[in-house]
Amino acid sequence: MSKKRIMFSPVTRLSGLLSVEVVMDRNIVSVANASGTMYRGIEHVMKGRHITDAVYMTQRVCGICSLAHGAVASYLLDELYDHELSDNAQYLRNIMLAADILQNHIRHFYFFSLPDYVKMPVQPPFEGQNLKDARLAPQDNTRLVEHYFRSVVASQECHQLLTVFGGKAPNQHSFVHGGVAVAPTADKVNQALSLIESVHGFVKEYLVPDTELISRVYNDYFKIGRTPASLLSFGMFRFGSKNQLSLWRGGVLTRNQISAPDIRLISEDVTNAWYLPVDGEVLPAPHKTGAYTYIKSVHYAGQPFEMGPLARMIINGFYHGGTSTMDRIKARSLETLLITELVMEWLRKLVPGPPPIQQKQKPLKEQAVVATDIMRGSLLHSVRVKDEQVEEYKIITPTNWNFSPKDKNGQLGPVEYALTGTVIPNPDLFLNTILGRIIRSFDPCINCGAHVLNAKGDVTGKIVF
Amino acid sequence: MKKEDFVKRCQELAVGPQFNLSEYVISEAKKHRGSKFRKLPVIWLETSDSGDNNIAFMNTTYPYLGQVFTDLIDLLYSNTFMAAQGKDALNILEYAAARLRGKFTLVVEGAVPLKDNGLYTIIARTEDRNLTALEAVMWLGPLAEYVVAVGTCASFGGVSAARPNITGSVGVRNVLNREVINVSGCPINPDWFVGTLAHLLMYGKPELDSFGRPALFYGFTVHRHCQRRSYFDQGQFAEKLGDIECMFSQGCVGPKTGADCPYRQWINHVNWPVKANTPCIGCTNEDFPDGSSPFFTPLPEKNMEEEQSNSPAPEGEKDE
Repeated sequence: MSKKRIMFSPVTRLSGLLSVEVVMDRNIVSVANASGTMYRGIEHVMKGRHITDAVYMTQRVCGICSLAHGAVASYLLDELYDHELSDNAQYLRNIMLAADILQNHIRHFYFFSLPDYVKMPVQPPFEGQNLKDARLAPQDNTRLVEHYFRSVVASQECHQLLTVFGGKAPNQHSFVHGGVAVAPTADKVNQALSLIESVHGFVKEYLVPDTELISRVYNDYFKIGRTPASLLSFGMFRFGSKNQLSLWRGGVLTRNQISAPDIRLISEDVTNAWYLPVDGEVLPAPHKTGAYTYIKSVHYAGQPFEMGPLARMIINGFYHGGTSTMDRIKARSLETLLITELVMEWLRKLVPGPPPIQQKQKPLKEQAVVATDIMRGSLLHSVRVKDEQVEEYKIITPTNWNFSPKDKNGQLGPVEYALTGTVIPNPDLFLNTILGRIIRSFDPCINCGAHVLNAKGDVTGKIVF
Repeated sequence: MKKEDFVKRCQELAVGPQFNLSEYVISEAKKHRGSKFRKLPVIWLETSDSGDNNIAFMNTTYPYLGQVFTDLIDLLYSNTFMAAQGKDALNILEYAAARLRGKFTLVVEGAVPLKDNGLYTIIARTEDRNLTALEAVMWLGPLAEYVVAVGTCASFGGVSAARPNITGSVGVRNVLNREVINVSGCPINPDWFVGTLAHLLMYGKPELDSFGRPALFYGFTVHRHCQRRSYFDQGQFAEKLGDIECMFSQGCVGPKTGADCPYRQWINHVNWPVKANTPCIGCTNEDFPDGSSPFFTPLPEKNMEEEQSNSPAPEGEKDE
């Protein structure tokens, strides 16, 4: 017997519930099926509600990236209502979004990823770590364990910064359509500066060197978990009175060519997902034979694409490297550092004044679609409204792209591609460790994948926006 | 223990590969000071949720998360934090449930889908079966000393059970025939949750309100303690978000929401939604979000759609 089915479940230390089934052909992963095992259906919840509920309601899609949904829903409403955004509003919005991204990246690195490489103390919640491939020198290991606990404060400070302006976190209140409901006053700006300086210090003194150390000691992971370098970003950090500018550019990178992304080329496929078309709507079908996930395949121009910090850093020319497990980790840490610097710059550009918000009373349009990058890649919200009520609300999250199951032609999504072909020396000892490292480098958020339910009509192909 | 023995033991552990010196020192020190407190053993299940409550938990200050792990709880199983993965994680869950039967606290984060045998939320899979949230909660609930529902989804169904609730999701209280301590909020203020755990550890079960929530945190309405109450009393209402007057006109449901946000505030106690010039949307309420929606419509004019949202009753839901 040379082939063996193994279920890696639960894949812990991530947001949401994930299982990955692999078929081992001797010591090589010959098949990998990534299963997002939760379905909630916020798009159904949005139907029939007042359109202005979208900002607060869609934040409830995801706890670790709540503001991402609030931001994209706000951009969507800005377009429907044709709002004008002031510079102050845009700086405040980007400061808040950035704070949530920093929170996300720091927690991902220390809470989720670090125990893949560092031997943690034998006490809850670290018992049973079973890390057979721990390579750090004892004193380095001890130091990084201490940094795990330091990151508790740094990541909390990110959410405190967000809350100074946003009222609470997760699920902030002030970043809404038309601007921001909170005034940038000297006391708040000063508090925020103090917090970001502390976070910046942490990132510079701990996160970046810790990333360097791990990438040096585990440098074989520059060859493990590679994807075909098809990268996609819709750009990040919106500016301009109509959200029309992106500070970091978007792009479609494939075969070493970069082009501008076009929303109309996105398509979906539910061949291996637990959904079936019913009366022109795609509904969850948990008993569907052969399917293995609640995450749908999403493609650009018919091809799977990887997204996230690595895609953004490469497309913007900030990172020059490959598309492996360790490249993803390095690019995320680099991005974290760059964002702390941006927040300091934006805070200094705020001009004290009243809350920068102007909301018009009635929407001028009945449809809108927005895609922009947030923590894990590009987030798309689209809506159709009638009399201010939602007729249809669609969400496509980065998890849908990175954790796409196989489509009708058997094309692998980025995570499954990265896993397939991996050589596992002595699977009994190292299988979970190696698979876990590859999977977590994509920063899985299965809560985000738990909603997508799209589309009238053509379930095999194009989305009609 | 004699001083010499203690020093010798520390010296041995300091060079050991397991990094358990501090664990040893702390537990010995606690014995020495004669503390009556042990740590609370906790099994934390994530079910149908957004994960915002585990993120909110990470935001706790005084104690910070590291101190919570060191001094307050033994977090034995947690999809979010545990270093173990795959079958190692499931083995820990089974072992902890058996070894600490009647002694552990079960924390459930998220609602429990009932439709299609609960297949909308699968906690873990093996080669031949799925462990659904429904099965896991029904298995562990009766074995726990306390059951704590963290967040509004776990407490009452929340956003996971919002209209039209196509997964037939319910709160934990609807699937267990026992008392559930509801720490509601979307998400929870970390003080409410960590404070509840501390209460369980130090003084036992806290006094609960009629919704099964610790009265300590939920006993008064937001409206009663709101800094903007004087505006309400004088009939001065905000004309738009961003104004400094009472947010009742902007949809605030503070008058029907039990929570101490006005004086507790969020994330190291720096701010809360009304202070940020926006309405309270009543995220701790039994009828959240449907009873608060549309969020920006004044309370008397909100569509009272609870009747719609509660029907049809999800299959298998037991009577309260």
